[in-house]
Amino acid sequence: MMVGYGIAAWPFLAAKYRLYQRWRTLTALIGLAALLIAALPFAGGARAATVAQPGDARSGSLILKTEGEGYVDAVRLGIDVDVTVSGPTLRARVTQVFRNTTKDWVEGIYVYPLPDGGAVDTLKMVIGDRVVVGDIKERQQARVVYEQAKQNGQKAALTEQERPNIFTNSVANIGPGETVLVQIEYQEPVHRSVDQFSLRIPMVVGPRYNPAPVVQTVDLRASDNGWGTATSDPVPDRDRISPPVLDPKDHAPVNPTTISIRLQAGFPLGDVKSHFHNVKIDSPDRSTRVITLATPAQPSGEGQGEGADRDFELTWTAAAEKAPSVGLFREQVAGSDYLLAYVTPPAVNDAEQKPLPREVIFVIDNSGSMGGTSIVQAKASLLYALGRLQPNDRFNVIRFDHTMDMLFADVVPADSGHLAQAKDFVTALQAQGGTEMIPPMRAALTDHNADGNTVRQVVFLTDGCIGNEQQLFDTITSMRGRSRVFMVGIGSAPNTYLMTRAAELGRGTFTHIGSAEQVESRMRELFGKLESPAVTQLSVTFSDTKADMTPVALPDLYRGEPLVLAAKLGKLAGTIDIKGRIGDRPWSVTLPLANAAEGKGLSKLWARRKITDAEVAQTIRTLTADEANKTILALALEHQLVTRLTSLVAVDKTVTRPAGEPLKVSELPLNLPAGWDFEKVFGERPKLGPAAPAIERRAEERDGRVRIAARGVSPVVSAGSQAGQGVVLPTTATDAEWKMIVGAMLMAFAVVLLACRRRRVFG
Amino acid sequence: MSRLSAALVLASAGALLFGQGIYIHAKAMLAQVLLERAFAETISTGRVVKPWPWADTWPEARIRVKRIGASAIALAGSSGQALAFGPGHVERTADAGERGVAVYAAHRDTHFRFLKDVAIGDEIDVTRHDGKTFRYRADGSSIVRFDQSGIDPFTTGHELALTTCWPFDAIAHGPMRYVLHATMISPANPMQPYSPP
Repeated sequence: MMVGYGIAAWPFLAAKYRLYQRWRTLTALIGLAALLIAALPFAGGARAATVAQPGDARSGSLILKTEGEGYVDAVRLGIDVDVTVSGPTLRARVTQVFRNTTKDWVEGIYVYPLPDGGAVDTLKMVIGDRVVVGDIKERQQARVVYEQAKQNGQKAALTEQERPNIFTNSVANIGPGETVLVQIEYQEPVHRSVDQFSLRIPMVVGPRYNPAPVVQTVDLRASDNGWGTATSDPVPDRDRISPPVLDPKDHAPVNPTTISIRLQAGFPLGDVKSHFHNVKIDSPDRSTRVITLATPAQPSGEGQGEGADRDFELTWTAAAEKAPSVGLFREQVAGSDYLLAYVTPPAVNDAEQKPLPREVIFVIDNSGSMGGTSIVQAKASLLYALGRLQPNDRFNVIRFDHTMDMLFADVVPADSGHLAQAKDFVTALQAQGGTEMIPPMRAALTDHNADGNTVRQVVFLTDGCIGNEQQLFDTITSMRGRSRVFMVGIGSAPNTYLMTRAAELGRGTFTHIGSAEQVESRMRELFGKLESPAVTQLSVTFSDTKADMTPVALPDLYRGEPLVLAAKLGKLAGTIDIKGRIGDRPWSVTLPLANAAEGKGLSKLWARRKITDAEVAQTIRTLTADEANKTILALALEHQLVTRLTSLVAVDKTVTRPAGEPLKVSELPLNLPAGWDFEKVFGERPKLGPAAPAIERRAEERDGRVRIAARGVSPVVSAGSQAGQGVVLPTTATDAEWKMIVGAMLMAFAVVLLACRRRRVFG
Repeated sequence: MSRLSAALVLASAGALLFGQGIYIHAKAMLAQVLLERAFAETISTGRVVKPWPWADTWPEARIRVKRIGASAIALAGSSGQALAFGPGHVERTADAGERGVAVYAAHRDTHFRFLKDVAIGDEIDVTRHDGKTFRYRADGSSIVRFDQSGIDPFTTGHELALTTCWPFDAIAHGPMRYVLHATMISPANPMQPYSPP
C-alpha cells in the first residue's frame, strides 16, 4: 500500500520537485541580484569619490539653473573680438554684450579668458548712446567704487584679473530689457616659433581642479630670521576662478562669438591658417589679410565645426623662403623711447655629431579633465616621443591624477624591452580623478645623478587645469637643479599662463597641441628643440644709451625660438650687441637702433613684461612679496594696466535703478571646452529639474511645516554668490537603513529555507 | 544540497548587506569619537588637527542641543566623504558666529537623527574651532527641494540652518530636505574678530 501511495503521489511529488527546483534557482538569482545591487552603490560611491571636484561642483554652483531648452529667462551674452595685428604686436578689442531679458534689475558677472601675455588697458561701458570710460585704480579701491555705484543704483562695470589669463567683468544695474556693452582692449606680442607666427584667442576657461586646503604650507625665508607665514589654502580665490559651466548634453550653446582679424604682418605673407575654426580670408594686398569667422562661433556637439568652446588659433608664415629673423621696432610715449627687438639665432645643424645622450622623464596627466579627446592626444604624443628615443638615452614615465605612478623606480636605458613596457603602460591609461600636479613634478625633478653632465629634460603633458599654479612654480624653482622642464599643453583650452610660466622657470619651452592632427607636427618640432643644442649664455649690451631691459634673466633659446627683448631707452642711439653660444660655438649679432621701425603699444608690452619679471623674481625669492607688489603697482598705475593689484572701473553718473528695487545676480556660464567629458570632470551630476528663473524667496510658496520667519530683502552681494534660489543642499541620506533591512530580510529568508528543508525531511 | 546552497547564498548576501549597513553606522559613531578628540585639541592648540592621518577634512564646530542631549562635531566641507563622518559645513556659507547663515548638513539616519526631535524654541549651541560658543534659538523649519532651499547666503542677520534629508523615515534618497532655521541670541554683539584656521 505504501508503494501504491508512493506511485500515486509520484507525479505530484515530481511536479513539486520541479517547482521546487525553479524556486531554488529563482531564490539563488534573487540572492545574487541583491548582492550586486548592494555592491553597486559601494563601487559607484568609491568611484565618485575619486573623480575630481573642480571648484565646487557638488553644490551645483557650477551648473547654472536654466530651463530645459536653453537660456531663456536670464541675462544673455554675445561676444565680439576685433583684432588688429601690426607687425610684432596686436591690439584686440573684446566687446561683451549683456542683454537682460528678465523683468528684474540684474548684475551680470562673467569670468572669461584672455591670452596670458596680454596687457589690458582700456574699459568702456556703452549704454544706449552714452560711453563711459573706465579708470585704472588699485584693486580694493576699484571694488569699493564699484560697490558704491551698485548700491546707489548707477550702472557700473568692473574688470579684474584673477590670473594673468582669467579676468572677471562685473556689470551692475542692468535694467529690465536693457542691453549694456562692455568693451575691453588689450595689447599682446605676436608669438613666433621656428618659421611660424601665431596668435591665440582663448574662448573658455577650463574648469580648474582646486586642491582641498588641508595641508598648511609654511613660508619661511632665511632673510626673515625664522619668522614666516603659514598659508592654509593653496587656492584662496578658488571661487573667483570657477565660473559656472554648462553640460553640452543638456544645454543649448551659449555665448555666440564673432571674431574678425586684420593682419598686417609687415612682410609678404605666405600661408595663413586658422586651426580650429572655419574662416573667410580676404587679401587686400600681399602683406595684409582680413580674417573673419565663417559663421558666428557656436559650440558644436562633438568638436567639429566652429566652436565658442575652444581657443581660436591663427598662424601665418612669410612668403619668402625664410621668415625675417630680426625685427626692431620703437615707439615714443610720454617722452621716453621704448624698443622691441626680435632676434632668432640661426639653426646650427650638427648633422655630423651624434646627439648627446639624454635623460628624459615624461610625465602625463590622466585626470578627469583630460577625458574625451585630450587624453587621446596626450597618449599619441607620448607614444610618438617614446619612439624618438635613442638607445643610449635614458628615460622614465610618470602618470598622475590625484594619485601617481612611476613606471620605473629610476631612469632606465631606452632599449626595446623597456620601451615596450612603457608603450603598454601608456596605452592602458584612462582619464579619471583629480589633478595633483605637485607630487609628480617633484618626482620628475628628483635627480639621482645631480652632478652628471648629460642633458636632463622633463616633458610634462597636461591641460594645466589647476588652481594652485603658484605652488607648482615654487616647486619647479626650488627643485629644478640641472633639469629643463618642457610643458606640452593638451586640449582645446589649456591653461597657457601655467604652461608659459612653468616653462620659463624650468628653462624649457611650451608647446601646445590642440587636435589630433597637430600631434605629430608639434611633437616633431618639440623633439627638434629637445635634440638640438640650445643657445645659452646670452648677454645683451647697449652701446650708446642706458636701458631698462626685460626680461632681466635672459632665457636659453631652443631651436627656432626668438629672443624677444623690450627696453625703455635713455635715447635712441647706438646699437644693441647680442652675444651667446650655440652648442659650443660663439654667436653674436649687432642691431643699429637708428633703423628701428615705428611700432605701436610697445610701452605697455614693456610694462607688462616688467610686471612678469617682478612676479618671477618673487617666485625665485630674489624679491620679497612687498617689493614685488610695490613694483607691480607702480608700473600698472603708470601704464594703466589691469594686474592682480589693479582693476579698471567705469561708473555712469546717472542713477537708474529706483530705490527699493532689489538687484539679482546672474553668473554667466561658460561652455565646457570642446572634447571634454562633462561627467568625467564633474562626476555625478545632480539631477536638476526645470529650474525656476531667479526669483525672490517667498515664504508662502513652500510647503513647510512652519513658515520661516520673514526676513528683510537684502541687496545681494556680487561675485561668488548664487542667484536667489539659495544655498544648494547636499544629499544627506545613507543607504544604511535600506541595506540593513534588505540584509535582514535575506537572512530571514535563508533561515526559512533551512527550516522548511528540515521540516520536509521530517514530514 | 541545492536548498542548502541557496540558503547559504541568501544568508551570505543578507549578511553582507546587513554588515554594510552596520558598517556605515559604526563608521559614523567611531568617527565622532575621534573627532571629539581632534576638536578638543584644535581648540586648545589653535591649529588645525586632522582626526586621523589620512583625513581630508577637519573638525570645524560642535553642534549641541542641550534639551535632548544631542551633540555632533561638524566637519569642513559637505562632500559625501565628510558626511559619512559627521555633519558637514556647507561650502561658502558663513561660519558660526559670522554675519550670514551657517549651514550644516548631515545624514538623517546618523548624525542628524536628533533633528526631528528639535522643537521651535529650543536652544542650539555651536562652538567654533577657536573656542567661542554661539547660542541660537530655533525659530522655523521647512521642507524644501535641495536646489530651492531658500536659504539666502547673504542675509544680514546671524543665522544657522541645520538640514537633512526628508522624509525622516524614508528608505530611498529623495530631493527633499528638512531645514531647521535658527537665529542667534547670544553673544549679544558677535563682532569678535574671526581667526581663520
